[in-house]
Amino acid sequence: MRTLSLGLLAPAVAGPELPLETVRYYDLSNSDGTARGWEREERVLMCAPLRDAETHLPMFFGHLRNFTYPHHLIDLAFLVSDSKDNTLNLLNQLLTELQNDPDPKQPYGEISVIEKDFGQKVNQDVESRHGFAAQASRRKLMAQARNWLLSAALRPTHSWVYWRDVDVETAPFTILEDLMRHNKDVIVPNVWRPLPDWLGGEQPYDLNSWQESETALALADTLDEDAVIVEGYAEYATWRPHLAYLRDPYGDPDMEMEIDGVGGVSILAKASVFRAGVHFPAFSFEKHAETEGFGKMAKRMQFSVVGLPHYTVWHLYEPSVDDIRHMEEMEQERRNRENEERERAERMKKIKDEFNDPGSEWEKDKNSIEGISQQEDQIRKEHDAAMADKEAKDQDSTGKPAKETSDETVSKETKDTKEATDTKKVDAKDAKDIKEVIDAKDTKEIKEDKASKDAKDTKEVKEDTTSKDTKDTKEVKEDTASKDTKAIKEIAEDKDVKDVKVVKEKEA
Amino acid sequence: MALPRTLRRTSPITLVLAGLLAIGFLLFIISPSSNADAVSTAKRKLTNAASHPLSPPTAPFVKQDTSVEARNKPPPVVHYHLNNVTTTADPITNEETVLILTPLARFYQGYWNNLLALSYPHHLIALGFIIPKTKEGNAATLALQAAIASTQTGPEAKRFASIIIMRQDFDPPLQSQDEAERHKKENQKTRRAAMSRARNSLLFTTIGPSTSWVLWLDADIVETPPTLIQDMASHDKPVIVPNCLQRFTNGEGKADMRPYDYNSWQDSQQAADMAANMAPDDIILEGYNDMATYRTLMAMTADKSDGRDTRAIIPLDGVGGTALLVKAEVHRDGAMFPPFAFYHLMETEGFAKMARRLGWGCWGLPNYFVYHYNE
Repeated sequence: MRTLSLGLLAPAVAGPELPLETVRYYDLSNSDGTARGWEREERVLMCAPLRDAETHLPMFFGHLRNFTYPHHLIDLAFLVSDSKDNTLNLLNQLLTELQNDPDPKQPYGEISVIEKDFGQKVNQDVESRHGFAAQASRRKLMAQARNWLLSAALRPTHSWVYWRDVDVETAPFTILEDLMRHNKDVIVPNVWRPLPDWLGGEQPYDLNSWQESETALALADTLDEDAVIVEGYAEYATWRPHLAYLRDPYGDPDMEMEIDGVGGVSILAKASVFRAGVHFPAFSFEKHAETEGFGKMAKRMQFSVVGLPHYTVWHLYEPSVDDIRHMEEMEQERRNRENEERERAERMKKIKDEFNDPGSEWEKDKNSIEGISQQEDQIRKEHDAAMADKEAKDQDSTGKPAKETSDETVSKETKDTKEATDTKKVDAKDAKDIKEVIDAKDTKEIKEDKASKDAKDTKEVKEDTTSKDTKDTKEVKEDTASKDTKAIKEIAEDKDVKDVKVVKEKEA
Repeated sequence: MALPRTLRRTSPITLVLAGLLAIGFLLFIISPSSNADAVSTAKRKLTNAASHPLSPPTAPFVKQDTSVEARNKPPPVVHYHLNNVTTTADPITNEETVLILTPLARFYQGYWNNLLALSYPHHLIALGFIIPKTKEGNAATLALQAAIASTQTGPEAKRFASIIIMRQDFDPPLQSQDEAERHKKENQKTRRAAMSRARNSLLFTTIGPSTSWVLWLDADIVETPPTLIQDMASHDKPVIVPNCLQRFTNGEGKADMRPYDYNSWQDSQQAADMAANMAPDDIILEGYNDMATYRTLMAMTADKSDGRDTRAIIPLDGVGGTALLVKAEVHRDGAMFPPFAFYHLMETEGFAKMARRLGWGCWGLPNYFVYHYNE
């Protein structure tokens, strides 16, 4: 039974005073992007899809701290999907740090971390066995992730949407303003990546920004409905002008180029593009998917899609499997070289030791022997002095017993010293023997080393020569073969001519 | 001893009665409402509300402290677990949120009343409207805002979780909403393109991270079963439409109903052939005599008898948008309303095609009716 009441005592939770705002009013014409968004306080949604991105996050947050576009106008949205590493925890930690930064200019606007796993949709069917064919489903999966991220994070207040991969290594801090100034619906910079010196120093990275070509359109017509054209594979030679290849390091960074497909590393688009329905097709749209399909769809809806060939951001260089192998080989070579050097140094040291040590030992021995003889000399001198004293004393009247005792003592002393020298000699001998043995061993080893090395060298040389030989012989063979055929041809021709001549002569 | 004049004249009995009445009034005013449901939903609403105005618009947010210090506090880091957003055959038990989206040109009280009558828990419903910035649109906005104001301050159980009013950033191509003018074939393409853009603008800015279902409901749908959402969701289909009819008075003066929405159909070979010979930007339109498609129109297959099987279901190739229930993941995958010729289809029909390209099936309920306003 309900008691009849106005309920004025319970309004804290039930009445009209519930402190909730449930109605929101937006005028989308306030969310149209302009060339000077930072002055008009236009909000930017920055989207970053993440997947096992733990290692890149600190770098990405470094970029975040440096953006010159007012941070409070930028809303951050992350989609963490199918990550097996610590991406989520690290992201949370870094975001919390960022939002609690004592510098009032650091914290960003709305921050959404969206967790959604799509599962590995690539099955072990015919498609995924082939690396190239797996591209289509891979791109579709990435497109799906991007769409989920955008749909969850786009608000009516956003004027711009900026897509940024977390593995961008170097980009201008002013990139948002720089791209915005062009006031285009969709705009992308050129994306290159630095390379180690042995690979040429730098390289175009993002090949998904391109202008459509007749060849590609003709190719598209021949493909079935679900096929996806991907750039950078020999299967689809499209002959499209790629933004990446048109870069001139000294070119005008504001130069624009109309493009049809866009790469996803760093896209700035007006929010009105996404509001109109342009998205990243997770199906084959005009034979394209994901960011390339996005470019195509934007064009289809008459939006401007532009690339900046001379304005470059640098993608992180992550060595490919081949590169890693190559680098391992180089590393191994380096290590081998180092080892060799170390061995050589050790050998040199040993050799030095071999020749220096005995000399010093000899000297020591000499010194010690000299010491002994000096001692003996001293004893003798003392003895002589004593004798002289005695003689003098004897001459004084008392003498013989004293002499005998002194003699005895001297003989004893000399015996002791003799023994001592003997043991020393033995020691020295032993040392010498041991040394010799060691030396002999060393030299043996060295010899063996040398021998094995020689053998190796000779082997290598042999191999080289044999391979060369085989090559040479091949070439020679080919040469000779071609020569032979030529010769045969010539001969044949000659014969023909001769025959003809003969015939002619006969006729004549 | 002189009593005041007034007291002298009144008897003690009246005084006692007046006192009792006063106490009664006070009790009536002071005693708390014992409507436990309302209190619990309100509590739940409060806990589910976002803490910052910068938050998904499908949920309400707690009103902000107006102090400078509170305003300068940066928004918190919010996690959304989209793995936990379900779309099941039993959406009420699973507390699945529904976003009802309506492109609005004219406000009909019948539409609003029907909305209020929906039996799906209102605290799980968010409403989104997009209205053109025209004179008509302004009038519709005012009427809508008045209706919203009375609902959102009214009984707790009738209040919706959140309401979003959005004004279009582009002008509609046709000023007239007059039916005859609107249905002219040459006007259809530009009209449907604009309608597609309006639908997409509304959809992608409001769907947010917690929506389970999107119900597209045209502003001129004035009558549906109150269990519309539960009934359609119970089929557990990615995209599902009821049959849209119109009540009218027939020649004999009797109440009757006639098919209204011809955009729900199964494709025909003739239409496919027609499409094959078209220029890329041409579109096939339904319901025009000079463009006979021979498609199977769901509107024509309706069984109007009282004992009809309302759960009968058929697969569809094209869908209409008068009432259309879509699992949010279909839209999240990218299925939108093409404002251009997509396989020679636009708007809701193009949407069905795109959903099917993404691997989602479209279905129709030929014997489950919703009713269009009769102009």
